[in-house]
Amino acid sequence: MRLKFAIALSRFAGLLSRKILRKSGETIPGRILLILYPRALVALAKNRNIILVSGTNGKTSTTKALAKIVATLGTTVTNSTGSNLDRGAATTLMTQSEYAVLEVDELHLIRLIAETNPRAVLLLNLTRDQLHRMHEVKRVADRWHAAVAGATETVFVGDVDDPFVNYALSASPNSIRVSFGGRKHSDAAVCPSCGIYLKWSKNNYKCSCGFTNKSADVTLEPASAAARNAELANIVGKELGARVVKIDPADFERSFTKLYSGINAKIRLTKNPASWTEALTGVSGDDVILILNARQVDGIDTSWLWDVSFDKLHGKRVVVCGERALDMAYRLHVQGIESTVTENFSEAIEKFSGVTNVEVLAAYTAFHSLVTA
Amino acid sequence: MSQIKIVRIHNELLGTYGDQGNADVLAFRAKFHGITASIIDVSYNDLLPTNGDIYLLGGAEDAAQILSLEALRRNGILQDAIERGAVVLAVCAGFQIIGNSFWANGQEVEGLGLLDVKSVPGSKRFVGDMKSKSTVLGLELTGFENHAGKTLLGPNAKPFAKVGVGHGNGDGKFDGAVDGNVFGTYMHGPILARNPEFADLLLTRATGRKYSQISDPLATQYASWRRKVTK
Repeated sequence: MRLKFAIALSRFAGLLSRKILRKSGETIPGRILLILYPRALVALAKNRNIILVSGTNGKTSTTKALAKIVATLGTTVTNSTGSNLDRGAATTLMTQSEYAVLEVDELHLIRLIAETNPRAVLLLNLTRDQLHRMHEVKRVADRWHAAVAGATETVFVGDVDDPFVNYALSASPNSIRVSFGGRKHSDAAVCPSCGIYLKWSKNNYKCSCGFTNKSADVTLEPASAAARNAELANIVGKELGARVVKIDPADFERSFTKLYSGINAKIRLTKNPASWTEALTGVSGDDVILILNARQVDGIDTSWLWDVSFDKLHGKRVVVCGERALDMAYRLHVQGIESTVTENFSEAIEKFSGVTNVEVLAAYTAFHSLVTA
Repeated sequence: MSQIKIVRIHNELLGTYGDQGNADVLAFRAKFHGITASIIDVSYNDLLPTNGDIYLLGGAEDAAQILSLEALRRNGILQDAIERGAVVLAVCAGFQIIGNSFWANGQEVEGLGLLDVKSVPGSKRFVGDMKSKSTVLGLELTGFENHAGKTLLGPNAKPFAKVGVGHGNGDGKFDGAVDGNVFGTYMHGPILARNPEFADLLLTRATGRKYSQISDPLATQYASWRRKVTK
């Protein structure tokens, strides 16, 4: 009874926040619910199939794809707009369903695993991101490892070419360890399992303690991040009894195209060294806009820019904007790439008048303000 | 025309917080001064070159910090370099490594003892923008700190900078330490990208020559903007 009352109140608060504050309403109800009824996640997850998706990059798109696959099995709810903290999960679970596919922030995953007794958890990758909040990559991996060890009934699926994911999975008796033939990882010089210098040969690692990606349960062909996440979503789906759904890797790219006074802008989401590197490989034209912000979700420290090679932009026309445009401009300058700094995105796009296609790489908060603009 | 060798130590271990950019900025500024600079990347299994002019260490996670220390302990190359006057810039975990002792993975570890400082665990993590005034440069510096350790200075080390914004060595008063040409700081950013004048000072110390002021308007604009907004 008390839970029902708390849900009703939280819903009402969500309604007010949507109508009066014009917010998306994905966070407020869950936030209030968890204050009024701290064990709400436990109660709402009971007798339901909970599936969690976490990782540094690709969470939102993979969750979307997996929700589509799971929806073939029964009624399904999902948090589709990236509201991935405990409160976002609580809001989503307030709607009844047989299945819930939830995107979960890396640090909030610990609580979600402990409180929702998930049927399956998909771990995509773990690389440097928002270090002002995550502090250290290994710290997150250690927390994952402990959370996984406590969830003995859950099936864990993950990409073991990422040593941190492999380390987390190693704590589970029910894991499906997937390899795509190995891949370099820029933050994994140390064995997460035993702490010695990790021995890499080309794209594969094998530590003298036995920790390796060479003993996977499923080995697939090397593929792009998008294609890998599509495969992983289907492996989770299969485990739950769903049929394989064909997914176009293009659906996984966090991007959209928008017309600005005759200029076709393809806008891609970029967040951290790994996602910038991935996005830069996709740049094919000669006209590029880079938008850098440094709010909480972007990471408030911009030092990581120096770990990304912007070589790909040599010889292109580059315009930078955003709250931290100067950080970007100076980084590029030292790499021998001269850019034009503008006050904002509209001024940046004006610089390209007469051009048909412009490619835009945008920090998380900049991407979202362009989506909603 | 002079030549210098910049040695970037164990970036795969000491590269978690973007400090590898310090080497890039040094080489870039060197060009303006008419110095030919080369960057030598040294990984865990390699020996440090004995003829480097500037040695750089960056920030790291605990396990990586211990491994880097182990590798540097295999020989006395860094110590010999300091004795012949080479410049060392060590940031965060790197700063702790070259001190007398520090804590990592819950244990006290003996450092290289190249700087008379001792680091101990703090009660909370210090994360955020920093501003300080360097005693050596007489200049305001900005950067970003992200560390759990506190550092205490011994009699043979002087504080590198007086803290205006942030925590630095943990007391909120001073950041880093300096002894001759050996510099330690908690500032990422990377520090030389945010503060090009500091890069120039290190080049001066490394070559023993005096350089005239150079003009790189973007670098100046970036540095002064960060000073203005860091409050």
